[in-house]
This record gives sequence, structure tokens and C-alpha cells, in this order.
Amino acid sequence: MTEPGDKIANDVFFDWLLRRGDTALVLGHRVSEWCGHSPVLEEDIALANIALDLIGQARLWLSLAGEVEGKGRGENELAYLRDAWDFRNLLLAEQPNGDFGQTMMRQFLIDAYQSQLLKALATSADNRVAEIAVKAGKEVDYHLDRSADLVIRLGDGTSESRQRMQAALESLWPYSGEMFKGDAVDQAVVAAKIAPSPEGLRTEWLSTVDAVFTEATLSKPETDFAHTGGLTGRHTEHLGHILADMQFLQRAYPGATW
Amino acid sequence: MLVVTVTPTYTGCPATAVINLDIETKLRSNGIENLRLEQRISPAWTTAWLSQEGREKLRKYGIAPPVEGTSKTGRISRLSSNEALVVACPRCGSDKTEKVSQFGSTPCKAAYRCRSCLEPFDYFKCH
Amino acid sequence: MYAQMVKTDTTKVRDLSEMSAQERAFQERIDRGEKIEPTDWMPDGYRKTLIRQIGQHAHSEIVGQLPEGNWITRAPTLERKAILLAKVQDEAGHGLYLYCAAETLGVSRDELIELLHAGKMKYSSIFNYPTLTWADIGAVGWLVDGAAIMNQVPLQRTSFGPYSRAMIRICKEESFHQRQGYDIMMKMAGGNEAQRRMAQDALDRFWYPSLMMFGPSDKESVHSAQSMAWKIKINTNDELRQKFVDQTVPQAQYLGLTVPDEHLKWNEDKGSYDFSEPDWNEFFEVLKGNGPCNRERMEARVKAWEDGEWVRDALMAHADKREASRTAAE
Repeated sequence: MTEPGDKIANDVFFDWLLRRGDTALVLGHRVSEWCGHSPVLEEDIALANIALDLIGQARLWLSLAGEVEGKGRGENELAYLRDAWDFRNLLLAEQPNGDFGQTMMRQFLIDAYQSQLLKALATSADNRVAEIAVKAGKEVDYHLDRSADLVIRLGDGTSESRQRMQAALESLWPYSGEMFKGDAVDQAVVAAKIAPSPEGLRTEWLSTVDAVFTEATLSKPETDFAHTGGLTGRHTEHLGHILADMQFLQRAYPGATW
Repeated sequence: MLVVTVTPTYTGCPATAVINLDIETKLRSNGIENLRLEQRISPAWTTAWLSQEGREKLRKYGIAPPVEGTSKTGRISRLSSNEALVVACPRCGSDKTEKVSQFGSTPCKAAYRCRSCLEPFDYFKCH
Repeated sequence: MYAQMVKTDTTKVRDLSEMSAQERAFQERIDRGEKIEPTDWMPDGYRKTLIRQIGQHAHSEIVGQLPEGNWITRAPTLERKAILLAKVQDEAGHGLYLYCAAETLGVSRDELIELLHAGKMKYSSIFNYPTLTWADIGAVGWLVDGAAIMNQVPLQRTSFGPYSRAMIRICKEESFHQRQGYDIMMKMAGGNEAQRRMAQDALDRFWYPSLMMFGPSDKESVHSAQSMAWKIKINTNDELRQKFVDQTVPQAQYLGLTVPDEHLKWNEDKGSYDFSEPDWNEFFEVLKGNGPCNRERMEARVKAWEDGEWVRDALMAHADKREASRTAAE
């Protein structure tokens, strides 16, 4: 653990924690949609497993967010009773599954980022953040191993599979830039020594994805254009549908216990 | 007051509630009334915490215990590193085994098959 | 029961004096309670019957992901979601394990899956019923897993080693599922009016299909007699169904729910419940493909398989490339 840095306002810290929790939650939701529909039984198992890890991580982050907020909201209130504009996940996480290749490419781009971020968070000045990061980091390293491996095998597989993986990369790439664009929230957590700056993670992330793409015989898109907005609550149309699905029971039967 | 610290193997482990209940029931049936269970995620659980007895129990149950020192320390290790891993068949002891799936029926296990006695079995992954 | 009406290719169960020396030795091993292992000699009929039974069981685990998967994205709390995800992962894992057990008998997983998709192999009739409310997820755990366990516990003593060991492990995990399913039912039955209505409705819809899981009475069946001689079936369907009813009725009462059978009555003399048989015509219609969800279930599985073809091809192609470069390097 690092020595404490500047004091951070609760609402800013809360916002930053939602970014962690919501990204895990929304990505976990997407991955769980594969259940029973994947190309091969091993993948049904693996995808359920990854979704389960992500939901587990979302619970830890959202519980901590609720604690920091101090208004009595827990993981379920935060997951089920906020509307899309209060969600703080990456736009990349909410992109539809597409074919299996798109799902794996989305997973790889996020895993490579999460793995690095969590490693840095393991020395966070906030002990609670560090604890979650160590736990989640072990799981994400495992996910990254798998998603990188699949990107390579599908990229360097048949001509059809390479074409599909290249198309997946091109359609998802413009959503990857959002991970490295810091804002005032990030500045505050950096000053409080809670987290590293997002910009600082980019170089190592690039070296990871470059190495994998080379082995996968895929070409990284030239464009630097980045869709942004997810981290501040401006989402794509997809998130509303995810929430309509996810929150249905809590919304239809307010106050019920399950 | 007896305080028992419980650390889940994985964040998503769905068995934690049942495990807590079993611990509490066992302690109470042994006459310990004044107790409290504490969930703690740090330090993070590792297979190094498995006792020799625990490993033997796993093997007897048909699950190959983790091969220590094979956990990953980060970054992408790819297929190749796993292929070198020798997991002995918990039934016949043969080391002619192969991995069927990196994940088994629970997050902590991988699926293997013995090429000698043909037994399908689970391997408790090192982590 | 995840395997229903498994045929044995037998027309009559022969006694020891009618068997060849090899077969007799085999039957005597079974009679002594020894386990048959994959590398041991076994009669062709035993092998084929086991492939059908284990294959059907494996298919059921796989198709069974669909009705439960239907509620993963809509689970009402994050903990319930995690539990359900873990359960479905468990089932896929059981499927994998069982396919591996079937493979020890000399059939490949791909062959079994092709037979399933071609309609030549079956999966349990129960998975052709829909999950319409969240309470159905509770009912599936409580009733469907409960019925499966009822069947699988005796199968832990089955004569084929890998199947027996698979059952020991699977039963342990299934009993976990059943506990979790019952827990959902408790919450629903003790909840608000809408939740109680969902709970009762789930019991109403799943009661008879659960009874059907054991298959129709097989007291007279030659297949059943042969399977029992081989110890790949331990109890008759009626015995298991009775046990299931006796276990489940008090649980329903505890929940304050009504079993949808007006003839259900405790019979003091035989020390068990009298109950109505399910509608066997409905059962045979479901087996023929006319259940409420047969078409959706098969379409979903076939689509997953076909959509995934390029992935499987790519993984094979990549493995070949690797092998080629390894050979070249040597």
C-alpha cells in the first residue's frame, strides 16, 4: 500500500468506483448472453466462468461504491435501480456480442487493459481498492491468457476466420481509445494515489495488443479516433436494452425480496 | 468470541454462503456458541494454502491436486506454458494425461483425460 | 431422470447358462459388484446401451442450459445471477464430463452431437418445457434437479467405472443446486402476492413434467430388466417416482404450496403417498417433438453448432499449422 495522497471528495471517488463496477457488470452481462449458444462446449463453460468472475468483481466494486457514497445503497440498488445515464461503464463493454470473434476481440481489448490497471491498483493508497484489485487481477490475468490465445488462433486460423477477426478489430478499435482518456475524476484519484493515470497505461497496453495482433496476423487500424461518453453517462443505444433486460424484475415488482 | 476468517477462492464463488453455513453449523455442534464469521478477500486465496491432507483428500475424491509453482505471475503465457504441465491421473497415477478444457464444472478446475486408463478427471488449477 | 426409456437391443434377458464363457465371466463380475473399466472386455450390447444412456444424459445437461440460461440476464439480484451462472457452468461441465465418459466406450463427442442434431438421440423430456417466470428457476432446481438426483444417487453404484465415478461427483454438485432452487422457492413462496402466485404457478406447470422424468412404468420392460442385470439401472421407474413424490410433497407443504393433484393422499398402509399418474400421451407427444419448446431447443443448439463451425475450423487449422511448424523445426 502506498502512503495516502490528497483527500478525495466522496462523490468523485464514488464515480470512479462506478466506472470499475459498471464495466465489469455490463461486460459480464454481455458474456453471459452466450450461455448455451457458443461454438463448442468448452466455450460454453469458459464463457459462463468469465461472466461469473466479472459479476463477482462487479459486486465487490459496487458494494464499495455504495459504502463510499454513504447513502445506504448496496450492490443491488446500484445495479438495478439506476438508469442508463448514471451508468459509468466503457462503451466497449456494452457493444453487442456479434459473432464469437467479435466477442473475443472485445474481451481481449478489455482484458489487456484491465490486467494492467488492476496490477497498478494493487498498490493503491486505498486499502479496499488494493484488496479488490489483487483478487480480481488474478482472475483477469487468466481471462487475458485465454482471450489473447483465442485472438491468435482465430486470427491465424483459416482465411474466413482471419477475415472475421480483422473485421471485429476494425469495428471495435474506435471504442478502445476511451480507456485511456483521463478526465477530472481521474485527476482526483491520481492525486489521492488511489489509481494511476489512464494515459500512462496506454504504452504497455499497446505493446501487449501489438504483439498479439502480429502473432494473429491481424493489422491494427490506423485511426486514432475514439468514441467516448460511457464513463460520463452518455451511452450507445445498446445500454438501454441491456438495462431493460437486467432490471426487469426489480422494476416490475418494486420492493420485493428475492 | 471465536472469529473465523473465510476467504473465497474466486470472487464469483457461489458456494461461499453454503460454506459459511457449514462452518457455523459444525462449530455450533461442537459446542462453540460465541462465534463470528468474517469474509475477507485479502490476502487473496491461493492453492498454496491447501494442506497436504487437503490435497490427498482431493486426489481420493478423483480431483488431481494443483501442481505447485505453475500459477501465472501475469502477462500472457499462452498455450505453450500449459502444455508442459504434467498432471498425474488421480485414479491410476499415470502421467500420460491431456487437457480437455481449461475450465471444468467450477471455476477452480480444468477438465483432463488420462490416456492410460481413459478416466476423465478434474484438475484443481494452481492459482 | 436425465435418461429415459433407454433401449438395450435385447429381446430376452439370458441367464448365465445361456451365455458364452466370456459373457458369463463378465456377468459374474457385475454380480459380485466389481466395476467394469473402459479397457476391459464387455459385450457389445452393454457398450451400446451405455453409450445411449450416458449420451442421453450428456445431451440433457447441454440442452438443459437453455431453459435456465433464459433467466441469467434477468436474475433479480447479483447474487442470484452469480449462483445461476455457476449452476449453468456446472451443468455444461457435467455434460463435458459425461461426453468424456462416453468417449471411453469408443464413440466421439462429435458423433454423439450429430446424432442429437439429426434427432436420432434424445435428451430429457423436461427441457422441452419453458421457464416463464423467475419462480421457474427455483422449480427447476427444486423439482427437476431433485428428480435427477433421485435417479442418479443409485447410479453411483452402477457397474461401469467412469459412469459410477461421474455420478458420485455430479450428485454432490446437483444436491447443491437443489438446495439453491429450494431457497428461491422459499423466498418466492414467502414473498408478496405476485411472487406467491409465480411460485404456485411454477409448481403447477412443473409437477407432472417432473414425474415424467422417470419415464413410464417399466415393470414389464425387457430393456429395463436387461439394464438392471447389467447394473446400469438400479431401480424401476415406479420405485423412483414414488420416492420422489414422498420426498417432495412435504417440501411443498412446508412452502405452503398446493401440489396440483386432487387424488394425492397419504396411504397409511403402504407408508407412502397415492398420487395421479402424469398424462403419458403428453409425454409421448413431447418425445415425438411436440412439446412446448422442442423446436426452439433444437434450433438453438443447431444454430450454435452451425454458427460456430468457422471457429472450430479455425482452431483445427491453427493447431495443424503449429504441428507443421513444430515438425519442421525438429
